[in-house]
Amino acid sequence: MNDLMLGEVDEDGAICEAIERVVGTRADFLRKATVGGAALLGVLALPPAGAAATAKDVDILNYALTLEYLQASFYTEAERVRALRGKARQAANVVGAVERAHVQAFRAALGSAAIARPKFNFRGVTENQRKFLRTAVAFEDLAVAAYKGQAPRLDSDALLAVAVSIHSVEARHAAWMRYLFGIVPAAEAFDEPLSRSRVTEIVSSTGFITSAGQTQRKGKPQFTG
Amino acid sequence: MDVESAAIARSSREQVLKGALVAGGAVAAGGAILGGLPGVASSAPSPAQDIRVLNLALLIEYVEAAFYAEARAKDVLSGELRDFVVVVGAHEQQHLAFLKKALGSKARAKPRLVFGKATTDPDAFLKAAVALEDTGVAAYNGQATNLTRGALAVAAKIVSVEGRHAAWIRAIAGKPPAADATDPAMTEAQALAALRSTGFLRS
Repeated sequence: MNDLMLGEVDEDGAICEAIERVVGTRADFLRKATVGGAALLGVLALPPAGAAATAKDVDILNYALTLEYLQASFYTEAERVRALRGKARQAANVVGAVERAHVQAFRAALGSAAIARPKFNFRGVTENQRKFLRTAVAFEDLAVAAYKGQAPRLDSDALLAVAVSIHSVEARHAAWMRYLFGIVPAAEAFDEPLSRSRVTEIVSSTGFITSAGQTQRKGKPQFTG
Repeated sequence: MDVESAAIARSSREQVLKGALVAGGAVAAGGAILGGLPGVASSAPSPAQDIRVLNLALLIEYVEAAFYAEARAKDVLSGELRDFVVVVGAHEQQHLAFLKKALGSKARAKPRLVFGKATTDPDAFLKAAVALEDTGVAAYNGQATNLTRGALAVAAKIVSVEGRHAAWIRAIAGKPPAADATDPAMTEAQALAALRSTGFLRS
């Protein structure tokens, strides 16, 4: 699990302490985060990947989809298990809705080329708030690095525009979860990309994916967990 | 930029991206697509255009860096806000130094800035910081397809940090750090307008 902590933990604790003095919840934040926010979560207007996308772009989209499946399933399970309280619960609900919207959008864009949802076992991390937050931080930091690694590789400008937009949203999520966990939301001035092989290695090491998804068209899985 | 304008910016981009609508796709009705507005202009990437885009980024970093530097120097803000100023201010200084170096003699001049009470009054500070960080994200995102891929890879390292800043200051302010599935993108003109609407720019 230590491999997942990509960010730097605040060592002297001063910032940790400051962040843990939680600002009082305001009613309108609650409303916006759940009702208002949810209303704005339309499916992303992705161009149809099947029709015009290059094989490379389809491959990158499926890689992104796999990471979104991982996140969406994680937040969905956390919501169902009901181990979270207060601001962590609110955050999980909002962020989970967004990740599910990302899954929906990529699946719609990929059509029959979409990789199927892998099977996950989150090994109890959704059942404890601390463990949940630590894992959420790791997932979101990882997603930022993954999108950053792939965006410049995309052939399509339209997909690039969508990728950068999701990339910054994941960065917001990362900061949000770090804030709730009690570590500095932005540890460095520059965030680094991660290669696909490194991301795959990290995800693999968690053991969360118990069976790989497969595309409907090809016999072998796109993503080996 | 106010919420409505940001929604318009986002919808325009979605309209551009919807060139060929997903056939039979489950495109939900959420997020009204407003017609009649230009999409985010995309011109062919080139080294000359990279310079223009990076100079826009430099302007934003000048404003942010100076804003946080003054807040830190005046040392009136306390608690979480002070920690934010210290950490984020240091990042913006690094962004500024990086972009100035990358642009060399092509770097735009430092703008003349006046921050008034925004660097000492918590409410004014929060409002300004949220606006600046959200604008930074939207401006960078709006330029992504205008950059050469090399410049994009570099800009990408900065924009996610601005996204973190934006979420952090929103969390401090009691606002949703990230309510939407996508982040709005701004054109250069929209970003400049958003910067000017802070009232900080005097040149």
